[in-house]
Formats: sequence, structure tokens, C-alpha cells
Amino acid sequence: MADYRKMWEDLGMDLKTHDLLCQALPDAYTNIYLAQENRPEGMAYYDFVVSEIHGVRPAELIEHQRQGGKVFGTFCIYVPDEVVFAAKGIATGLCGGSQFWVPGGEKVLPTSTCPLIKASVGARLDRTCPFFRIADVFVGETTCDGKKKAWEILAEDVDVYVMDLPQMKRAKDVAAWAEEIKAFMKKVEEVTGNKITAESLAESIKLINNKRRALARVFEARKHSPVPISGKDALLITQIAFYDDPARCAAQANALSDELEKRIEKGIGVFPADTPRIMITGTPMAIPNWKLHHIVETSGAVVVVEEMCTGTRYFENLVDESQTELDKQIDALAERYMKINCACFTPNEGRIDDILRLAKEYKVDGIIDVNLKFCGLYSTESYKVQKAIKEAGIPFIHLETDYSEQDAEQLRTRVGAFIEMIRK
Amino acid sequence: MTNESQIDCYILFPNHNEGLKLHKAMKEAGVKCMISPTPRKLSECCGISLVVAEEDLEMAEKIIEETDTKIEKIVKLVRERPAVWNKFC
Repeated sequence: MADYRKMWEDLGMDLKTHDLLCQALPDAYTNIYLAQENRPEGMAYYDFVVSEIHGVRPAELIEHQRQGGKVFGTFCIYVPDEVVFAAKGIATGLCGGSQFWVPGGEKVLPTSTCPLIKASVGARLDRTCPFFRIADVFVGETTCDGKKKAWEILAEDVDVYVMDLPQMKRAKDVAAWAEEIKAFMKKVEEVTGNKITAESLAESIKLINNKRRALARVFEARKHSPVPISGKDALLITQIAFYDDPARCAAQANALSDELEKRIEKGIGVFPADTPRIMITGTPMAIPNWKLHHIVETSGAVVVVEEMCTGTRYFENLVDESQTELDKQIDALAERYMKINCACFTPNEGRIDDILRLAKEYKVDGIIDVNLKFCGLYSTESYKVQKAIKEAGIPFIHLETDYSEQDAEQLRTRVGAFIEMIRK
Repeated sequence: MTNESQIDCYILFPNHNEGLKLHKAMKEAGVKCMISPTPRKLSECCGISLVVAEEDLEMAEKIIEETDTKIEKIVKLVRERPAVWNKFC
């Protein structure tokens, strides 16, 4: 077996504690993912990535650094990866999706902080994730109060750069985000020592757009019935897209889509055609958070779309590729990123429009509106979300959960009852 | 789904390149196999294994030889999958 212990040691990791995660992953992945039947063959790549999750990609990032390159860790889909790649840097997602990292975060954060923030802080401070050790700069943003304070704590340990995201969507807010992108470009240029040019930015805009197009193709296949890929598998593809090489990510997603499109032609699905089709909307599910999808898909339904950061918000809308001057490219970036509809904005009617549109496009039978515990933004926005879904006549439930196993049976009971209700 | 009698054969490799090489060769030969994280009880190190059914093992061993794939070992495990899995990592 490949022995990554030397690499982890060199990264200053706590090997003993990290080993507990290495122990848990194979059993969980086997029972959650590999136990599924009739998976597309193209999922083999993603099985490989998970099997080597703290080995292959970290080794690539370290090799990039050895050759003088820099790695930027990001926590939010508003941070424009294009800027980093235009300066020959690599952007990698850093969000923590495991209960394993939560106690580490609770050493410095209030218990009443969302598990995503606790896990992200815990992964860095407890030295139990290679990605959190490798990143030269952590790029934070102002999407919620918990994160804003967490950056200050992380900044005691690592270089943290924070982007100030406007929270309304007027023209002046889009212009303000363009200014923030300019300031971020300066930081990236300083860190990498590489100048961003109109040519290099045009290239990286295409690179990231191609990744978005490829992910959109996978999701397009999910609109069909019987659905050719499970929600769990689709979620995994999105999660891995956050830290994979963007060109490889696009190539793999396109190859998988070729297979999915053939399955659609032949009427091959992973669930019977009459299986209730579920949309999940709400807070992101960072890898390896597969909890709700697993419960839904082992309770008689299939997840066909996620209206979340680890879902449609990540790839919908492309950056205009026709601009050739830096200032206009930056405006195009700002315009695209400000189309993402996060609950940190007020008002945020765009998200409700998205939910209702996606419900039609993916022909959903029911919606699960879910938020991570202690996420004030999404739990508060749930009032308006539920009202709109109810008016549209779509069955729904609202759930609040975290990464732990404690509520799994309760969730299973509630989800099971919801699916039963849809079936009637 | 519990299937007590099913045997899974795990093929372990010195590195992932050998595993991917065998996976490609097995696919080309039409032999069913699955990339899997290596169970902890088989190795202390993280990384990929290939899982083949017991009835396909002979064919897998033939392909290993023909392609000169370097492997560490092959271990047979009785499949233990609980009816409901509620553990996450």
C-alpha cells in the first residue's frame, strides 16, 4: 500500500489522531457508496479519489509547491478560483464535512457554532487534514458571523485573507464585489509572484467555465427518469470538484456524462422509474458529509438535485468569456458570482425562484429543506422557503441536523414518513 | 442488504498506479471489479484495493500475471453489510 505517513509527518500532522479518520473511512464508504447497485462505471474514478483522499491530491499540491507554486484554500463558492489559476496558483476547497473534526473546533469556538465552521477550524488546529496543512493562504469571506470570527482565530495560526462579500444585490454591490476581486488579485499576485494578465485570466475563465459545463451535464442527466445516477454519487462528484484539478474534474465528469447519456437512451436507471424524486435545498454538504443523501436513498426515494453550494449554486451561470480587457473580465466575474443566491443576502428572492424552477426542471415529488444546526441564516430563511414551496403545492419537510450519528434514526423515521406521504 | 455468504477478494497494491493499471486491464477483459478503500483490518496504510468476486479471482490472477502488475497480497473477506448503515465519518 502507498504509505503517506512520511508526507503527513512532514506536514506536521498529528498522525495518531488522523489515523482514527483513516480507520473509519473505508467501512463508511463501502457501506454508503459501494453497497449501491448498478452504479455507472465512471464512478470508479471517484472511488479512487476517495480511497486515496489524503494521499494523491495532497501529493500533487506539494509537488506544485516544490516547483514554486502556491496553494490557496477556500471555504466558499463566492471566492473566484479563476483569479488563483490565472496566477498559476491552485485553489482547493477546505470545508470540513466530518464529525471527526468538530471537537477540535469546539476547543476554541462556542458549541452553538455550525458544524461546518467547527470542523474547518478543528481540521487546521488539530493538524488532522493534509489540505489544511498544505494551503499557503486561507481565503475567507464574510458570508456569516460564525465564519467572520473563525477567520480571526485561524489567523493566529495561518495566513488568512478575507474577502468582504456585499449582502445586497444592487448595482453598487456588484461593483463593490468587482473591487474586492481586484484586491484579491493583488494578494494572489503578491503571494505567487506572478502577474495576472488579460490572457491568463481569459484562460482560467475558460478552465473554470468548462468545469461548470461538465458538472451541469451530470446534473442534466439527473432530470431523466429512471434517473441514471444516484444522488449520493452526484453529490460526491460535486464534493470532489472542489479540490480536484479543474481540467481533470471536467474530463472525468464529461466521460461519466457520456455513459449517463447512453444509460438514458437505453432506459437504464439506478432506481425504478416510480421512485419518489427529492430535491434537497439548504446548507452545503462538504465531503464526507453523505448523511442525509444516504438516509433518503435507503428509505425508498432518490435525490435528483441539490439546490445548495454543493449543488446547482456551484456551477449554474457561466462567466462571460468574450471580454478581453482585465477590468471588463473582473466585472464579468463579479456579475457571475453575484448571481449565486446565498441566504446571507437580503432580500434573497432569487433562491426561492431557483428552488421553484429546479423543482419543475428535475420533476421533483418532494423537497427537503435542510440546514446545519446553528446556521441562523438558512434556518431563518426557511420560513420564506417553506411558504413558497407550500404555495406551489409541493410536499416538503424542514430538517435541521449536523454531522453526528445521534439523530440518524430520528431522521430516518421523519424522512421515511415523508416519502410514504409522497407515495400516497 | 445482508449477504453473509458472499466472499469479496481484496487485491492490495504497493501503490495506486499498479491498482489503476489492473483496474483498466480487468475492465478491458470484461472482468467485474470495483475500486475500494482498503479495509483497515487488511492494511495500516490508506489507499486503493480492487475487489473482485470469488468466482472471478482466477481470471483476475491471470490478468495480474499477463500485465505484470505488482500486487501486495490478495485477501478473502466474508462480506458483512448491515441491513441499515447509520455510521458516518
